[in-house]
Amino acid sequence: MNRNPYMRLALRRAALRTVVNTVIVLFALAPIAWGVVSSLKPANQILEVPPRFIPQDVTLEHYERVIGDKGLLFLGNSALVSAITIVFALTIGSIAAYAIARYEFSGRRILMIFTIGVMSIPIASLLIPTFTLLSVVGLINTHVGLILLYTAYQLPIVIWMLYGYFLSLPIEVEQAARIDGHTALGTLRRVVLPLSKPALVAAALFVLVFSWNDFVVAVTMTSSESVRTFPVAVYFYLGFYGREWGPLLASAVISIIPITAIFIILQRYFISGLTGGGVKG
Amino acid sequence: MATVTFRNVSKRYGAITALDSLDLEIGDGEFVSLLGPSGSGKSTTLNLLAGLISADSGTIHIGEREITHLPPEQRDLAMVFQNYALYPHMTVAENIAFPLEARKPRPGKDAIARNVSLVAETLGIGNLLARYPKEISGGQQQRVALGRAMVRDPRVFLLDEPLSNLDARLRVRMRRDLKELHRQIGSTIVYVTHDQSEAMTLSDRVAVFAHGQLQQVAPPREIYENPVNTFVANFVGDRETNFLDGILEGEKDMLFRSGSAVIKLGTQRLKNASQKVTLGVRPEAVTISRNADDGMCAEVIMTELAGAELFVYLRLISGQEIGMRCDPREVSLVTGETVSIRFDPHQIHLFDQESGQNIA
Repeated sequence: MNRNPYMRLALRRAALRTVVNTVIVLFALAPIAWGVVSSLKPANQILEVPPRFIPQDVTLEHYERVIGDKGLLFLGNSALVSAITIVFALTIGSIAAYAIARYEFSGRRILMIFTIGVMSIPIASLLIPTFTLLSVVGLINTHVGLILLYTAYQLPIVIWMLYGYFLSLPIEVEQAARIDGHTALGTLRRVVLPLSKPALVAAALFVLVFSWNDFVVAVTMTSSESVRTFPVAVYFYLGFYGREWGPLLASAVISIIPITAIFIILQRYFISGLTGGGVKG
Repeated sequence: MATVTFRNVSKRYGAITALDSLDLEIGDGEFVSLLGPSGSGKSTTLNLLAGLISADSGTIHIGEREITHLPPEQRDLAMVFQNYALYPHMTVAENIAFPLEARKPRPGKDAIARNVSLVAETLGIGNLLARYPKEISGGQQQRVALGRAMVRDPRVFLLDEPLSNLDARLRVRMRRDLKELHRQIGSTIVYVTHDQSEAMTLSDRVAVFAHGQLQQVAPPREIYENPVNTFVANFVGDRETNFLDGILEGEKDMLFRSGSAVIKLGTQRLKNASQKVTLGVRPEAVTISRNADDGMCAEVIMTELAGAELFVYLRLISGQEIGMRCDPREVSLVTGETVSIRFDPHQIHLFDQESGQNIA
């Protein structure tokens, strides 16, 4: 036993921390783990009493059912809408953020406050007016309509994230690029954005999580199967005559996989220090 | 012709005047240093010329072309920043090539590579081309920054305290390299520094700034020997100038009286008759007097032996401290000793006590 009182205190704290963290992790992951496990059980074993965590028989029938039910089409729709939304939000967002970060113009502060302010408006409160607007301009029930809405919803947070990051970059590097003969946009593209990879990745993930998971906007603005996104498709397994737990859980698991994979792949970009060595002092 | 002309250029930040109606002409191929303490307006001047900030009034020309309101990329300048401002995500070769890639029409890949390796060889960094800025030393980063500026063969070079992040030895060596570089390429160079010895050793002319105003522009020697005011006299020179407040007496053969000390000035032509003056004399113009009636009594407070020179701090009877610089092989003094000192009358400067302006 360690007799050093400080050491003992530190050990006790570390132990306590581990216990608390474990509880939090279990609490957060339990539903997902239950979902994954249950999606692999045959339909008659899912609601078995008493519940069994380890499935007796493992089957992929629910997954086959989801994929067979135009699942690939819905996944494709989600991927298309998310990808284009990310491109739009990052392109417009980076130009806007750069202008606010580096150019002096009147109303700059107000613009930034406004941008942050609109983030606090709940999307649900905008559904009816946006629905009306979208039907008037003929974009209801289209991919374009969803993409434009998602871009609009996510632009403020993208601008805000990039703005903060741009301010942290050494301005001399940008000035050097200008003096070296590159235009403002050229400097943004060839110097600022490459240096902002961590912020761009973080912003892209934000947009992705929103547009991939969005249910309420998609279910309001689309009706036909050809534009249906995956979260809406999941909802359709909550049938009128009863829940189809197997396909419902399988589709939920499918929708989690791509985002988890992308997070794991892009993890390394969160590591800062990309700007090291450019400027001295 | 890559002359640079500032006409009546001012820049204000709110209530603060960063630069007050600057008139300055820099000749083609000239090496001019902008010298001053921080906040003096020297960096503002450079940034105005580079186009990084915009002037409130006045015009700036390069040659015949007015550039006052042009964006930086259209000015055809090259700049070396104090912190080098290398592009961290590019290799050394890509850093040096970057200005060439902005050219229209864009030069071919081979032409760019040829230029880059030529410049890199000149600067002795040819073996570093594939490295990233964070993988090379400060002195090497400095050379890359210089290379990036040289590669485009610009009309005007701007150097913003390029040596201040280097250690002392390297700084002196780079100073020589810069001078050699200027001799080779012959471009107009505008060099900002707060280090007077850099300005003095490198430049054809030095422009001294203080409080947003240009104080004096002249070749280093003239700045040193004929400072226009007390500020320039004190700022230029690696030791402080000695200043004594006193009163002028006499018509032709003038005397300077400060307390009990009296200094014979001989015949002086004064621009402005002024009774209350400040006398300025550099430490090397202070000597030990052989005959006592000619000099002032002073007590040795401290001596500093700095290799080739001996620097002596003295105290006059009035309590005023005087610095003296002498040759340690000729003079040896001990602390507490009393000596008689005199000022070389040819190296005495007289300034108006109120305005600080030179009246001799």
